Amino acid sequence: MTVPVTPTVEWINQCYDHEGRHEHVSLYLLRAPEGTVLVDSGSFYHREEITAAVEEATGGDGPDAIVLSHSDYPHAANVSPLGGDTEDVELVASSASPAQQGLPDARKCDIGGSLTIQGREFSFIDPPLADRSHTTWIYDHGDGVLFTADGFGNYHDPGQCEYLSGDFADATPAEAVYEYHRDNLVWLRYVAPEKVERTLDDIFAEFDVRAVAPIHGNPIEAADLDVYRDRLGDAMCRIADEYAVA
Amino acid sequence: MPREIVPGIHWIYEAGPDRTESWDLADRNPDWYEPGREAYVPQCAYLVDGGEETLLFDTLSPASTEEILTAIDELVGERGLDYLAVSHPDVPHAGNTLAILEEHPETTLVAPGYGNDHELYHLDDGIHVTEGDEIDLGDRVVEFHEATFLDAPVSVWMTERETETLFPVDWMGFIHLDEEKLAFVDELDGEFDPSRLVEFHGRVLFWYQYIDVEKTNAEIDRLVEKFDPEIVAPAHGLVIREDATDYMETMKDVTRTIDGQERIGTLG
Repeated sequence: MTVPVTPTVEWINQCYDHEGRHEHVSLYLLRAPEGTVLVDSGSFYHREEITAAVEEATGGDGPDAIVLSHSDYPHAANVSPLGGDTEDVELVASSASPAQQGLPDARKCDIGGSLTIQGREFSFIDPPLADRSHTTWIYDHGDGVLFTADGFGNYHDPGQCEYLSGDFADATPAEAVYEYHRDNLVWLRYVAPEKVERTLDDIFAEFDVRAVAPIHGNPIEAADLDVYRDRLGDAMCRIADEYAVA
Repeated sequence: MPREIVPGIHWIYEAGPDRTESWDLADRNPDWYEPGREAYVPQCAYLVDGGEETLLFDTLSPASTEEILTAIDELVGERGLDYLAVSHPDVPHAGNTLAILEEHPETTLVAPGYGNDHELYHLDDGIHVTEGDEIDLGDRVVEFHEATFLDAPVSVWMTERETETLFPVDWMGFIHLDEEKLAFVDELDGEFDPSRLVEFHGRVLFWYQYIDVEKTNAEIDRLVEKFDPEIVAPAHGLVIREDATDYMETMKDVTRTIDGQERIGTLG
């Protein structure tokens, strides 16, 4: 079961329970001109659900390509079960040293560069919000979707697992954006928010972003992007303000 | 082949790929670089032998599975490995966890108590350690600490009390030339060039470009006061066994330098 985000991008949403609050650990399926492309492969924790969902969505064929935002286990743990270790499935990763990241057979994408995968153009963006250094944000030139890996996430309540941002009463709740980034991008306690904002402005000026697709949050629709970014900016300020060097 | 830093603490080294071309070192030719040489940012694991019990801190990457298993055998022999402590679940640090536990079923897994995604990393089993937790190995006692400068939220730092060694994981890493593998910093030719630290932190702890300089440097002052180590053993650099706190102080200049220049580049 997938959730449509844009005409050719579908969300395979999986959740991890934090004592009643949920965190998405998702992946996305793109229907490109020459085949299907997965962005990330999800966690081993959801392996059965993910392989079943991909099987159903691809009519039993599986993906034609897998593009990884980075090699962290919640993102890259199902490469083999989804065929990414075979010649039939093209595997693309941004790591500079695939063998050290456990992905010795990956085709390398350069951060700052572009690749055509299954007939679809993707750009690989140096992310201002990430944890691991080898992370890339992935921009899909087809539908204008920006896949933001660990950035732009949020927690959510049970029952909101399949929500797009517009399904919330007033877009993605500010508190959920704050709590997610506080817990998962710990370095934000030292952030100078205006520096991140400048880089985000540059990215959104260069790329026509029509939806943001985080791995750890509800997808953000075009109409809600400004609201989300305002809340993200407030969250960064709050996280920094709340941490004082003892 | 591991190198003993002080009696009972062994340094296990993995070079990783040559960074010369991808970091344009030949073109930029920084002061510390010698044309024609290869340059590396290693992965390091450390084995602490306390006489009674043994502990391995980190695992090297999946590219070095055989090497880390061989090193463990060489260092602990028939005594076995008592503890495997994983600093954080990043693949180059924890990528051989399952292989080591399969080879050494007697080993107790020690994982960070910080963060909230342990099941997603196979780290829900074993001991979870946070600030001040200790493991007594006999002649050596290791103590765990909240990781200050980190990438994954599920992270922990470690110290060894007797030798006053700080293991700051990703922090204080730096690039080095090929023949400097497993050399102590005090064994390098000439004066240590802090731009080596800038090359690493400007790319690998990429978020240094987005931080408040004064706040971050106040944190470094706090770390110097808190730990005051004799030895610094980073996961991605060479071991510092002389003037360790001076090198920690140097990190404040690294912060300022990264703040004052254009983006250095990516890891690639």
